[in-house]
Amino acid sequence: MDDIEGKILSNSSIAPGYHLLRIRLSRSMGTVRPGQFIMMKIPDGGVFLRRPFSIYDYQQGILTVMYKIVGKGTEQLSKASKGTSVLTLGPLGRWFTVDRRNIPVVIAGGIGFAGIYSLIKKLQGKASIFFGCSSKEEIPLLRDAVRFDPLIATLDGSYGFKGNVVQLFKNHLKGLKGKNVEIFTCGPVNMVKSIKGLIVPHKIPCQVLLEERMACGMGLCFGCVMKTTDAEEPYKRVCKEGPVFNLWEISL
Amino acid sequence: MGNISIKLFGKTLRNPVFNASGTLGYGVEIEPLWSVETMGAYVTKGLSIRPHHGNPTPRVWEERHGMINSIGLQNVGVDRFFDTYLPFFRKKRLPIIVNFFGFTEDEYVACAEKIKPDRLIVALEMNLSCPNIKAGGISFGKEPSMVFKIVKKVKGVTKIPLFAKLTPEVKNIVDIAKAACDAGADGLTLINTMPAAAFDAKKKSIPLKGGLSGPVLKPISLRAVHECSKAVSVPIIGVGGIMDAMDAVSFFMAGARAVQIGTATFIDPYAIPKIIKEISDYLDANGIKKIDDIVRTAHGK
Ligand SMILES: Cc1cc2nc3c(=O)[nH]c(=O)nc-3n(C[C@H](O)[C@H](O)[C@H](O)COP(=O)(O)OP(=O)(O)OC[C@H]3O[C@@H](n4cnc5c(N)ncnc54)[C@H](O)[C@@H]3O)c2cc1C
Ligand SMILES: Cc1cc2nc3c(=O)[nH]c(=O)nc-3n(C[C@H](O)[C@H](O)[C@H](O)COP(=O)(O)O)c2cc1C
Ligand code: FES
Repeated sequence: MDDIEGKILSNSSIAPGYHLLRIRLSRSMGTVRPGQFIMMKIPDGGVFLRRPFSIYDYQQGILTVMYKIVGKGTEQLSKASKGTSVLTLGPLGRWFTVDRRNIPVVIAGGIGFAGIYSLIKKLQGKASIFFGCSSKEEIPLLRDAVRFDPLIATLDGSYGFKGNVVQLFKNHLKGLKGKNVEIFTCGPVNMVKSIKGLIVPHKIPCQVLLEERMACGMGLCFGCVMKTTDAEEPYKRVCKEGPVFNLWEISL
Repeated sequence: MGNISIKLFGKTLRNPVFNASGTLGYGVEIEPLWSVETMGAYVTKGLSIRPHHGNPTPRVWEERHGMINSIGLQNVGVDRFFDTYLPFFRKKRLPIIVNFFGFTEDEYVACAEKIKPDRLIVALEMNLSCPNIKAGGISFGKEPSMVFKIVKKVKGVTKIPLFAKLTPEVKNIVDIAKAACDAGADGLTLINTMPAAAFDAKKKSIPLKGGLSGPVLKPISLRAVHECSKAVSVPIIGVGGIMDAMDAVSFFMAGARAVQIGTATFIDPYAIPKIIKEISDYLDANGIKKIDDIVRTAHGK
């Protein structure tokens, strides 16, 4: 892990409000594992703290980040042009661990896909993928995962299943009965909560990538915590003990 | 090369730059980037007699020139800190300053009593920004009389030199500084964060109230250091918004013997080693032999 300088290679819109950013790093980041993230900033870019982003892809010195424009930092980032310098601190955090004996199921909601794509890629088609978003406008997010035949839900029904991704997954839950399924998920908190509600009776193992506001991203400030079931020290750092947690160990 | 080592309470420290309490975790987390013994001393996260869970999120909020935090003093407790982390600092022979707090006078006293003198411990640093539960939640550091009383009590149970770390949200910080010194404080750390509120424009609500830190705080802490160092003679550690070596130098000139770096590390994780190197470069470039030669040089002006 280190703070590495990079230059933007491209920063293009892939869907309304979503960008794909490619950065050439000046040095190697070392081994990057699915679920890990970086703390990124554009020097003198007008925001005070760095922003956390999942490592969407990293190969041959090129780091890719998929992001959604939600506020000041991502708005400014979306305007950065080719050649702009960026600083990336990473790779950070704990990653998804894969137990080869289990059948992997990936459930992603919206930009949560950005956090879990590197796992999908690693699983190379072995995972059943469920993706949910608001409308067909967001389907281009799946560009690199189309080859793995994701099942898609849109809230407005403009593409695939009409409804949310958890309802879609529920329809497939029966078929998974008796199998050693493990769920990997990333998305809005409400989605994660309803997955939890759905699978409580089935006791399915589940790893979840969580987001929280961060200042340092490396365990220094204790600003980014998630409440867990650990009675002695309930608040764990999302950037250090996470961002990937065992769903059954967090208090959602 | 300019000598940037300093002497504090008879101990020689490699340099006058430390982390600010609560901004460098338990000291181990930064190791992948740089060795924590790069600093003159490590200042612990605020410790309490019992472990403390801290606040729910959001705990951090960005401001234009700083940030607001409401961590709520989460820590593993003084016992577990010493069991788990002291061996790490011992192995590195890195002197430490133990920051501690309480919510009652008894908790402060119990915590200070628990910390036994040790070759590694340069000083205790008493966080006076905590709410005094028995006094209706007003911070211990607000009134000279309260400061005098609690510092005196703590001094009564420890032989370790004591820094009193003051809150800037007071009528007159010089009066507080004098009260702490009259009660026996061996040094002052100036300053803690400034109470502040964040606003969430999307939700139209106040998501958190907490302590403001970062560059926005610097002129306030610089003033506190300047005024207090004129009024008392104990060593002062300057802290608040120091982002680079020139900021640090300004604190020395204003009267600080050492500085602490907090929020800057979140912006640039290498801020501390850079500042240490650049202070040394500054001394060299200006033909200054040692740090103490620039301390208080801005007093006359
Ligand atoms: C581990 C992790 C991985 C992430 N991966 C991605 C990703 O791959 N793609 C993507 O688009 N987004 C990702 N996010 C969310 C992303 O960090 C926020 O959307 C971004 O920080 C918003 O910044 P802003 O300035 O545009 O928004 P503002 O709302 O203006 O930000 C203000 C502050 O709030 C923080 N903040 C706001 N929303 C979030 C959030 N959801 N999570 C954490 N902090 C937030 C910001 O960092 C900043 O400090 C991730 C978050 C975490 C914690
Ligand atoms: C995340 C965070 C945690 C902090 N925790 C403590 C603490 O436990 N005890 C304490 O005395 N001060 C604490 N502080 C205050 C700092 O030590 C320092 O006084 C303040 O942040 C100003 O310095 P800076 O602007 O360089 O950050 C904390 C500050 C931050 C930002
Ligand atoms: S963001 Fe600082 S500890 Fe996680």
